[in-house]
Amino acid sequence: MNSNVNANDVFSDLNRYCNPAQMDAMKTRGHDIIEDKREGAFLFDCNGNRYIDCTSSSSIYNLGRRQPELVAELKKAMYETDQGNFPLISSEKALLAKKIAGFVGGSLACSMFSVVRGESMDFACKLARGYTGRKELCAVSGSWFGHTGFSMSLAQRKDKNDFGPLIPECVTIPFGDLDAAEKTISSRTAAVMLEPLQVENHCRAATDEYLWGLKRLCTKKGALLVFDETQSGLGRCGKKFFYEYSGVEPDVLIIGEALGGGMFPIAATIFTARANKFMNAHPLIHLSTFGGSDLGCRVGIKALEIYVRTRLWENAAAMGATLLDGIRNLQKKYPGKIISVNGCGLAISIDTGSADNATELCKKAAAAGIIVAVGEVADTTVIIRPALIIDKNNVTEILEAIAAAVQ
Amino acid sequence: MSAANKTNLASAEASVRMSLQEKAAIDKMFSLYINKGQVNYLKAGHLDVLEHDRNGIRFQDPVSGKMMIDCFSSAGSFNVGRQNPVMLRALSEAADSLDMGSFNLTSRYKTALAKELAAIAPGDMNRVLFAAGGGDAIDCAIKLALGATGREEIISTIKAYHGHTGFALSANGKEHYRKYFEPLMPSFSFVPFNDLDAMKKAVTNNTAAVILEPVQGEAGIFVATDAYLKGLREICNEKGALLILDEIQTGFGRTGKMFAAEHSGVVADIMTIGKSLSGGLFPNAAVIYRDVDILNGYIRKNPGFHTPYVGGSDLACCVSLSVIEYIQKENLCANSRLMGEKLKQALLELKKENEKIIREVRGIGLMIGIEYIHEFMGPMMTDALAQNGVFAVYSGNAPQVMRFMLPIVASEKDVDDVILAVRNSVKSMKTLLPLALPAAKIPGVLKLLNNEAVQTVVFNWIRSAEDLYNKIFKKNGERHNE
Repeated sequence: MNSNVNANDVFSDLNRYCNPAQMDAMKTRGHDIIEDKREGAFLFDCNGNRYIDCTSSSSIYNLGRRQPELVAELKKAMYETDQGNFPLISSEKALLAKKIAGFVGGSLACSMFSVVRGESMDFACKLARGYTGRKELCAVSGSWFGHTGFSMSLAQRKDKNDFGPLIPECVTIPFGDLDAAEKTISSRTAAVMLEPLQVENHCRAATDEYLWGLKRLCTKKGALLVFDETQSGLGRCGKKFFYEYSGVEPDVLIIGEALGGGMFPIAATIFTARANKFMNAHPLIHLSTFGGSDLGCRVGIKALEIYVRTRLWENAAAMGATLLDGIRNLQKKYPGKIISVNGCGLAISIDTGSADNATELCKKAAAAGIIVAVGEVADTTVIIRPALIIDKNNVTEILEAIAAAVQ
Repeated sequence: MSAANKTNLASAEASVRMSLQEKAAIDKMFSLYINKGQVNYLKAGHLDVLEHDRNGIRFQDPVSGKMMIDCFSSAGSFNVGRQNPVMLRALSEAADSLDMGSFNLTSRYKTALAKELAAIAPGDMNRVLFAAGGGDAIDCAIKLALGATGREEIISTIKAYHGHTGFALSANGKEHYRKYFEPLMPSFSFVPFNDLDAMKKAVTNNTAAVILEPVQGEAGIFVATDAYLKGLREICNEKGALLILDEIQTGFGRTGKMFAAEHSGVVADIMTIGKSLSGGLFPNAAVIYRDVDILNGYIRKNPGFHTPYVGGSDLACCVSLSVIEYIQKENLCANSRLMGEKLKQALLELKKENEKIIREVRGIGLMIGIEYIHEFMGPMMTDALAQNGVFAVYSGNAPQVMRFMLPIVASEKDVDDVILAVRNSVKSMKTLLPLALPAAKIPGVLKLLNNEAVQTVVFNWIRSAEDLYNKIFKKNGERHNE
């Protein structure tokens, strides 16, 4: 497909047929470009301008854009399989689930597939209620989770009161406060859920002590511990999963769309065989037509092979450290522009002090050749999350762009 | 149509059959890492088949080598047929230069599909928000209605099925999918389907939206009358409530029109689509809404109220565009109407001959349901049909109803094949009924027979006995060496 595209036609259709606020939102962030070619760490607009993709469509492109083996697998598999009839047994689903169990390790052995993170979290909530027979869902503050019903009932978001009363028996405990957790988590609690690394919330990381404390409380009270690692997992944080830093294994783990490497939408909820007793007793009580598409499973299997072979989390840790150092140096130079920096692997967040500053930084960064986005929970922050395949030259280029943007 | 529909006989014969050991290994792996209960449940109904050589309206059971006609289509996802070459070409070409794209940017593929959807959607439904799947689309639609009206109540219908995510599950009108996960969204209530008076009483000045499927699918195929839909439109206008039509199963030619609402001419405020929008190949779903101030206003205030993330991806948009073009070019809506009529007539005849088994035949286009006299007949028929080469399922919401939702590319010959299989299945079921029917008259036994868990155990016991019999007489081995 060549790039003979009239940008004005596309923008005019966008304004006329799509989300009526998207064009304005894109403009204020300097993202009023048309995404055209993509390759590795880069995306190109229809005028041939090159950008380093530091958004990765919210941590989907961990393997880089159009990873060649993934592209080849999709193109091959599409002639051999398709979505499949969702209630049926399939070897593709079984094999991906087995590979995931091997990849994740420990006692997290069973999978439920979905298309998008919100669906994975909604299922985790349902599993917790079904398995424990309890109703109360306890979220740690500052989490994002997604846009579907259960997820947004538990997430920290400004528009929560726009949608009438949400799922009852959802409570929130303050992040990092074990005393509050001890007071709230009881024999009525079905699950405690959190993003152990809150990427959208200035990359706030839970301490080992806090995670061990939650684990102890959950075990004691018989509640499930749920980690949503959509944005931190599959190598993003510098380990396969963030919880490996502390060694605290959850009962339920959500792995996000990075599972399909950006060539197919697939996400999953992974849980213990013990929790699966509930699903075994009630098969097909939770369904997803597109979740665990056989074609998606083929792409997912290939993506996991690549993750295992390349151990990209090691590169993420190394490049992340260099990038973080560089941004900290910039902070010394421009303390008024960069209020604080947090980071873990290749999830790095800059606090700019205000929402307007954050938007402005996105705009200037785009002009300097990198695409970055504002945090969904902490809207004064800008998140830098490039593909995990980036090299030192890319890091230098990102730093130069940020420097140009904060000057 | 012929291209998409070609039965791949040569390749089916050439393909290597799967041994029983290989199949058992897959079952075991699925049981261990996904769900053992599901494997047992499917085995009970002879539905533990794998789908090989997926092509047009058929797939092959790799163990027996038997070709199965797909009357489920993954709940209406395979409207244009499986391995449709036009759709495959679109995805293959797209995969040469694209990936899913970025949800926070735009591309000509996203806007091209939005424009096309606006063109085919009824009335002034000209705005498109993409979503990851059906459930995600329903959650988005309900949030849009709640946010835009500032009201709290959602009215759904009894037996409705909208999905499994938080808002969608809360709008499901039958206990089956809800009971273990309650409490759900508290301001949802339910009224009988096709009952205008009940709706009139339920809708208040605090009602944000009325949501329904123009044909209830999972509930057991109940078609909304034109008068009902028109009445709903009036009630909503009167009370300032929004009308949401869930066309996820009914869309893209399933009922004989591009969208089921076109039969009545009623234009909803918000419509959800999914399933066949993706061609059963690459997930895609969307919310289409009327280009009016109340809805646009809310989105302008809160543009990120429901980010699609992986919905409306560039690859998916290319597939969806090819699906729509194919349906239009091949005139599949008309085919769905004709083939649906043919199948329905044949099933009505069968009903006349078997009043003790079939209570009713209902449907529109290629969305047809047979309701049996007793719930336990659903699983029995699924089993009998599977043995006769037809994959059709009863729903967890209504086990006494079997849905027939063939890909709408089905030819006359395909429909004849289905009719013959249904006839044979009813015949073979008759041999079992002299045992089951008198038993059903004993108090408590009917309840037992209708119990899903009991069926799973009993049918699995029968399956084991069959397997043992086959093992002794080496029936499977012979088949395997054919």
